[in-house]
Amino acid sequence: MIWYIARRIIYLIPTLLIISVIAFAVIQLPPGDFLASLISKAEETVDQAQVDALRERYGLDEPIYVQYWKWISGIITRGDFGDSFEWNRPVSDLIWERLGLTMVISLFTLAFVWIVSIPIGIYSAVKKYTIGDYLVTIIGFIGLAIPNFLLALVLMYIAFRYFGQSVGGLFSPEYIEADWSLERVLDLLSHLWLPVIILGTAGTAALIRVMRANLLDELSKLYVDAARARGLSELKLLFKYPVRVALNPLVSAMAWIFPALVSGSAITSIVLNLQTTGPLLYRSLQAQDMYLAGSLILLVSVLTIIGTLVSDILLAWIDPRIQLQ
Amino acid sequence: MQPTHTRLNAAAATDDVLLEVKEVKTHFFTDEGVVKAVEGVNLSLKRGQTLCVVGESGCGKSVTARSILRIVPPPGEIVSGEILFRQRDGRTVDLAQLNPKGREIREIRGGEISMIFQEPMSALSPVHTIGSQIMEAILLHLTVTKQEARKRAVSMLDLVGIPRPSETLDAYSFELSGGMRQRAMIAIALACEPQLLIADEPTTALDVTTQANILDLIADLQQESGMSVLFITHDLGVVAEIADEVVVMYLGRDVESGAVDAIFHDPKHPYTRALLQSIPRYDSRDNKRLYSIKGTVPHPFDRPTGCPFHPRCDDFIAGQCNLIDPQRALISRDHSARCLLYPTAAIHNPDEEPAT
Amino acid sequence: MTGATTPPPVDDRAEAAPETRIVVANQWQLIWWKFRKHRLAMFAGLVTLLLYAVALFAEFIAPYSAGTYSATHTFLPPQNIQLFQQTETGWRFYPHVYGHKVQVDPESFKRTYVVDEEIAYPVGLFVRGEEYELWGLFTLDLHLIGAAQYGDPVHLIGTDRLGRDVLSRTIYGTRVSMSVGLVGVGLSLGLGVILGGISGYYGGLIDNLIQRAIEILRSLPTIPLWMGLSAAIPLTWPPVRVYFAITVLLSLIGWTALAREVRGRFLSLKTEDFVIAARLDGVRELQIILRHMVPSMTSHIIASVTLAIPGMILAETALSFLGIGLRPPVVSWGVLLQEAQNVRSIATAPWLLFPGLAVVVSVLAMNFLGDGLRDAADPYQT
Ligand SMILES: Nc1ncnc2c1ncn2[C@@H]1O[C@H](COP(=O)(O)OP(=O)(O)O)[C@@H](O)[C@H]1O
Ligand code: SF4
Ligand SMILES: [Mg+2]
Repeated sequence: MIWYIARRIIYLIPTLLIISVIAFAVIQLPPGDFLASLISKAEETVDQAQVDALRERYGLDEPIYVQYWKWISGIITRGDFGDSFEWNRPVSDLIWERLGLTMVISLFTLAFVWIVSIPIGIYSAVKKYTIGDYLVTIIGFIGLAIPNFLLALVLMYIAFRYFGQSVGGLFSPEYIEADWSLERVLDLLSHLWLPVIILGTAGTAALIRVMRANLLDELSKLYVDAARARGLSELKLLFKYPVRVALNPLVSAMAWIFPALVSGSAITSIVLNLQTTGPLLYRSLQAQDMYLAGSLILLVSVLTIIGTLVSDILLAWIDPRIQLQ
Repeated sequence: MQPTHTRLNAAAATDDVLLEVKEVKTHFFTDEGVVKAVEGVNLSLKRGQTLCVVGESGCGKSVTARSILRIVPPPGEIVSGEILFRQRDGRTVDLAQLNPKGREIREIRGGEISMIFQEPMSALSPVHTIGSQIMEAILLHLTVTKQEARKRAVSMLDLVGIPRPSETLDAYSFELSGGMRQRAMIAIALACEPQLLIADEPTTALDVTTQANILDLIADLQQESGMSVLFITHDLGVVAEIADEVVVMYLGRDVESGAVDAIFHDPKHPYTRALLQSIPRYDSRDNKRLYSIKGTVPHPFDRPTGCPFHPRCDDFIAGQCNLIDPQRALISRDHSARCLLYPTAAIHNPDEEPAT
Repeated sequence: MTGATTPPPVDDRAEAAPETRIVVANQWQLIWWKFRKHRLAMFAGLVTLLLYAVALFAEFIAPYSAGTYSATHTFLPPQNIQLFQQTETGWRFYPHVYGHKVQVDPESFKRTYVVDEEIAYPVGLFVRGEEYELWGLFTLDLHLIGAAQYGDPVHLIGTDRLGRDVLSRTIYGTRVSMSVGLVGVGLSLGLGVILGGISGYYGGLIDNLIQRAIEILRSLPTIPLWMGLSAAIPLTWPPVRVYFAITVLLSLIGWTALAREVRGRFLSLKTEDFVIAARLDGVRELQIILRHMVPSMTSHIIASVTLAIPGMILAETALSFLGIGLRPPVVSWGVLLQEAQNVRSIATAPWLLFPGLAVVVSVLAMNFLGDGLRDAADPYQT
């Protein structure tokens, strides 16, 4: 097992490298030298010495690979992601809490997706071709077809129109800027349900279908008959064997569900005005605040890669066949 | 009941009959139509004996076996017939009448009747250890503690000839070879000392040497425990080696049944003869081409009229075989064939009736 | 004698081989038979065809052009079609919509519309309206549906903040949104078939590399990446170039699923008898791929493509909705939904969400269709 994990982590290195290159490319993509745009935006005249210091720091006069090297080595050795020009603060000051909240939302959504989709998937497979199964299938398809942001808009409209409530945000106004405390955590939890449902709908619909298909596959396998021939009751049989085996692909589905959640939360967060990475990335892209944008893309990607790694390890842990390969 | 049946039922009265299958029909109600997989099969198995069911692939052997254990997959259902099984406590139950999900049949499964399958790989769970599956059977049917169950599991693995049994207990099926898997399946099946073992082509997926080993193992275990074996195969070589009685099946029914000697040395039904002619013999000197039965088993939707074998039969009698569904004809005391070549009238003749 | 003439069982490869030609000739027929049994998929197929027809004939179907605006009819609510009108002699068939009166709230100065049943604007099919050029070829003024008298304000789904007809704009949006999906999937398919094919056919190191690349791409959060990349598209680019840039971006990340599918098919086909036979006959590799392997995968690929289009449509909608995908004056469903970006605008004009309904319907239809196709693609499996 330890070897397996070690191998997976080594595999990660080229992935991380590629991600960092992509993120760096995003930083470099906008035409022109960003210092120039910085200077043009600045209200007061900029001190020439300061500009030279920045040039030196980011290696702007040097070849592109040197710039990349300066950037990435700064991140790895010092946790220095560069400065946000719009906020006039180091990027690292701005991102960690937002990254944490992104993580919290994604994990809660993942839990929601699993808790809802597994029992429904089992029901749908065991009762296949019944009205209940058709209903689940149709609702699932609709869940897959509604874009997150549209669902967010519709739910917000319903809440506004029929309950006179303005939903959105992750905190009540009094807690937005407050320090972390038990009350703030509780406040967060009470706001979490809406984004979790919105983000989780598509994933839940997808996983129900995966679970149903897998379970149908497994139900017709010989080992199920063999266990039945041993005298096991239908319910115990169902949960001990086919459901257990059908869970494996579900765990491996986490490898794409998690990136999809993080990805989807970007847009949903913008619509619902959540304090996650999404809106910050959006604003930074519009303001061409490229170090902030690049860092966000880098970190969000790393986050999903770690999610994928965790799902791989989990899968190896529950499926003894994996480690052998 | 027709007279035919009362005649053969005589055997049921004697104590040593463990299982009696009478005119069982199992159909699959698919979207495309009804598949009559088993269409009136009869078997009778005595205590301690081995009954072999032979026939080409698709003749309903597996469905017959599953019908006995009531594990026919949907949309399959037993539509008629009786499956009389004498339980340990002396009661006779009709398995065909039991609720397939009910308690009664579940106590019989694994406890009194066990089954092993053709593919030992897929018959074992890919994500559970061998031990977890043996102990499951033991804990279901015997009142023992977990430790005792574990001990018994180890001794069962030892009994079936698995080396280092206590290590194998924690192994997964993919870590074992095909032969070892089948041994493990046998260990699971025999863990609760069933009265009847149903073996559905247990050696077909194995290589020749392993096949012989597994056959020997089953024979040895049967000797020791005195259980009965219902052995399904399409390999007549295997039949010759292990059978006491033989039932030849074609298109979901028994076409000929009798003692192994009678079937091999005095086959009556043209299908049995054709089967026997198609086994390769290493003692045959001449280079005659191996005989093979003409045509293939028809699709169950196109069940031929009259005698179901008539499109492929060498002795086909036009105007009769394609119209009349042959009844069972008694050849001798326990040898019967369903073929129009033999007069069923014999059955009605009281003189021929064997003394009981 | 039916028994003797029955075809051999399907798994009997050796016996089936001489009949391969007949089997291939029948494959599409078998697929069609199986597909036809899928009621829902059939219906979804019909809806999909309809949507593409709308995309093709948008100018004819829409009552107005995408840009027609009316300063006096901003945020006009949808008008219900009344089929009958009461006259002195009874009811008569006279499809029309009611007019509106504007009321200004004396305190807040907010304008609201009140239905005015005194005014009836007749509505008709095949009416004369604005002139348009269909595909740049014909100049016509015939519209499938619209005000029977040219100039009457008939807005069945209401208007937006500039008084533009939401229905017409959604119809025009169909063209862009549905075609982004199609073109994007076309590009993805090219990449997927080439890379997946190479991967599956040659195996070994190349396969390994491509598989790793796919894994990496799949583990990335696509929307932030798309956001980052599309934000780099210069604002000065003409709409058509932006359209292609976005499509390319979408397909650059979207090809992986198709590549996996193709690779899987290749791997299983590689061992099939007829491919081995072709190779033994000394047929060149490329020819094997093109002649024998690609055609036998077509049905599966069609199914996968159908299932991939909705993803593209959703992605385009999301990006444009955020304002970093397609931009006005291009009209796509996502661009239209931009008008409904916050609760306040939805509260004043919920009908602005109508393009969202179009998204849901099209994605649903193509998912059902693709699902049915995938089931039917294996005519031998039950
Ligand atoms: N689940 C099922 N659904 C429909 N038909 C089935 C099913 N299982 C078996 N059959 C049909 O029953 C017949 C007998 O099958 P089987 O008992 O497996 O044959 P054998 O074991 O003698 O090879 C076959 O024609 C097969 O097509
Ligand atoms: S009944 Fe006729 S067709 Fe059937 S086995 Fe006997 S001779 Fe052959
Ligand atoms: Mg069988």
